Amino acid sequence: MAFFFSVMKKDLARWRQDALSLLLWLAIPLLIGGLIMSFTGGGDGPKPRGLLLIDDRDDTFLSRFMAGAYSQGELGELLTVENVEAEEGATRIEAGEASGYLVIPEGFQDALLDNRPVTLELKTNPSQTILPGIITDVTEVLLDAGFYAEQLLGDEIRKIRETGENDLVDDAFVASISVSIQNKIESAAPLLFPPAIEVTVAEPPAEEGPGVPFAVYFIPGIVLMTLIFVANGLAVDYWKEREQGTLRRLASAPKRLIGVVAGKTAAATVVLTVMGFIVLALGFLYQGLPLSRMPSALAWIALSGIAMFAWLGFIQMLMSSLSAAELITNITLMPLMMIGGSFFPLAILPGWLAEVGRRTPNGFMVDRLTSEIVAQGSWAIDPFSWLILAVLALSGMVLSAWRLRAGFARG
Amino acid sequence: MSSVMISVDSLSRHFGDLLAVDDVSFEAQAGAIFGLLGPNGAGKSTTINCISGLLKPTSGRIAVAGHDVRRDATAAKQSLGVVPQELAIYEDLPAIENLRFWGRAYGLSGAELDARVDDVLGTIGLGDRARELPKKFSGGMKRRLNFGCGIVHAPPVMLLDEPTVGVDPQSRERLFDLVRAERDRGTCVLYTTHYMEEAEKLCDSLAIIDHGKMIAAGSMEELRAQLGARDVLHLNGEFPGAAADRAVSALAERIGEGLEVISSSESELTLTLNGASQMLPAIFEALASAGAVVNETSLRSPNLETLFLLLTGKELRE
Repeated sequence: MAFFFSVMKKDLARWRQDALSLLLWLAIPLLIGGLIMSFTGGGDGPKPRGLLLIDDRDDTFLSRFMAGAYSQGELGELLTVENVEAEEGATRIEAGEASGYLVIPEGFQDALLDNRPVTLELKTNPSQTILPGIITDVTEVLLDAGFYAEQLLGDEIRKIRETGENDLVDDAFVASISVSIQNKIESAAPLLFPPAIEVTVAEPPAEEGPGVPFAVYFIPGIVLMTLIFVANGLAVDYWKEREQGTLRRLASAPKRLIGVVAGKTAAATVVLTVMGFIVLALGFLYQGLPLSRMPSALAWIALSGIAMFAWLGFIQMLMSSLSAAELITNITLMPLMMIGGSFFPLAILPGWLAEVGRRTPNGFMVDRLTSEIVAQGSWAIDPFSWLILAVLALSGMVLSAWRLRAGFARG
Repeated sequence: MSSVMISVDSLSRHFGDLLAVDDVSFEAQAGAIFGLLGPNGAGKSTTINCISGLLKPTSGRIAVAGHDVRRDATAAKQSLGVVPQELAIYEDLPAIENLRFWGRAYGLSGAELDARVDDVLGTIGLGDRARELPKKFSGGMKRRLNFGCGIVHAPPVMLLDEPTVGVDPQSRERLFDLVRAERDRGTCVLYTTHYMEEAEKLCDSLAIIDHGKMIAAGSMEELRAQLGARDVLHLNGEFPGAAADRAVSALAERIGEGLEVISSSESELTLTLNGASQMLPAIFEALASAGAVVNETSLRSPNLETLFLLLTGKELRE
């Protein structure tokens, strides 16, 4: 155990001499992450807004009500609604100028009130992922709401329609309609408030749950990018020690080489955890996230750091030279970071790509760290994921020790 | 003191088809410097790597301070202090921390470690530079620190693998003093080198190794006795065909004096004989009569290099 601490202390002291490299490894991910966030609007800038083009060919009370619903409340912060003619709408959605193009057909109100089928045409922009999805979901909800409103207040709405057509509105009519609507709502109130159906949420809240700023989804990726840069840079130390002959000298000492691996990994873990903490803390402070989630996130980062360093060290030791080791890890890590959620959050990647990304080692770490950060409480990562990561870390260390014994140490 | 600290018995080591060490045996005593002399690639480093546990012998047995290096590897390694050919120190760690680290690697701790580190810093003359980074040191200072890291745990056996390669003369002398001081402390020192002068100057006994085979062994006196008083005469020039060899052989029959051809080619001829300087006129006359032309002559007194030449027919530096 004394030798383990001795190796750890020695490496920490050595790496401290190269503080500039450590700062660069920290600065590069922060810079890349900051640039990507600012490009994609994930930072402090205005939220991304979508444009919904509506061609209202019915131009009735209900069609105008539906068109207006897209710009109400929080939806209004995400969408700008613009009324267009048929030709203009089709041209602009084809050109990718809008998130969606909705055609409300003539006879929409009549069909709804007469309980007849009606088809709305919605074209979405395939180059966007989130906003077209929101438009589709909202349209479906509005149509469902229209159906239930017709079931409940169909008579009253029909009377309003007829009155509007005849242009004969007097106080008595308004009073009778109001009383009728009031009565129906009161009779339905016990079923509506509270709803008769109790919903139990069995699944954890969706990743894109309300209350979490979109920029938060960038934090885990940037943290993992930092870990990857730092772990890869520190793992080169096996090669450095080999080239300066100290590894060979250690191999002729009576202590076991697993002690060298354990000590070096422990030193790397300290550095990685500090780096991860700095990035995480910046993200938490910037986004105002509750600090209660920090310890669990940091524990995941520390274990991820161990796994990352152990495996990168092992892979580098399999190579025939230091330059080959650096080359192979660099060309492997870039695409892994791309699909593993370091450059773009997994949540905004196309579904199949996100699924592939989650199955990469770094994507797995990003995915679980994301769930830890956006969850309502701390320690949200499931025990099985912790177990997988622990096995990953341990196996990397054992393989590194094997590689040292199998000839790497003696050169 | 005469206890055996390193015992190598019938050591062989293969690398695929290459037999790097072939049935080598020797013993090294406590309080003595045992040299392993041979040209580059002779098998010295392979032998030392087998002793230090870095390589497993293909066959044979090695014991260090009575511990078998395979069956009792930890105890054997604990008894060893290794000073590698290349510097093996942390240049980004202060000198004192280097010594502390290597001391801990051999199980030292606490007051014992502090005392040994202080002692070694004084021995290697780096007491006033202890807290500086070795990357700021001169080459000689780094060599001394490299040596210090090998003796910090006061090992009874030391392995020095060509420690003076690329070292300036002044630092070399300083290193010799350190090695002798360890010897005088009772340490058994195994010293490999391809510098004949170094081996002659430093070693109490030695083995000469070439192509993995041990070709001579013994104390310096014993090895010199093998040479007798014969000088080595090396001639450069033109020595056509076998005529020069025949002329020398005829001369040898005539004058005796142990005259012998060690090696010959169209441009070089190497001879050994007693009192070569007195015999030069007769040799030149014999060679001239055979049509040879001598352009350059060198005469060497008996030493390890000439012994190596006698035994292998080639120069140690080849």
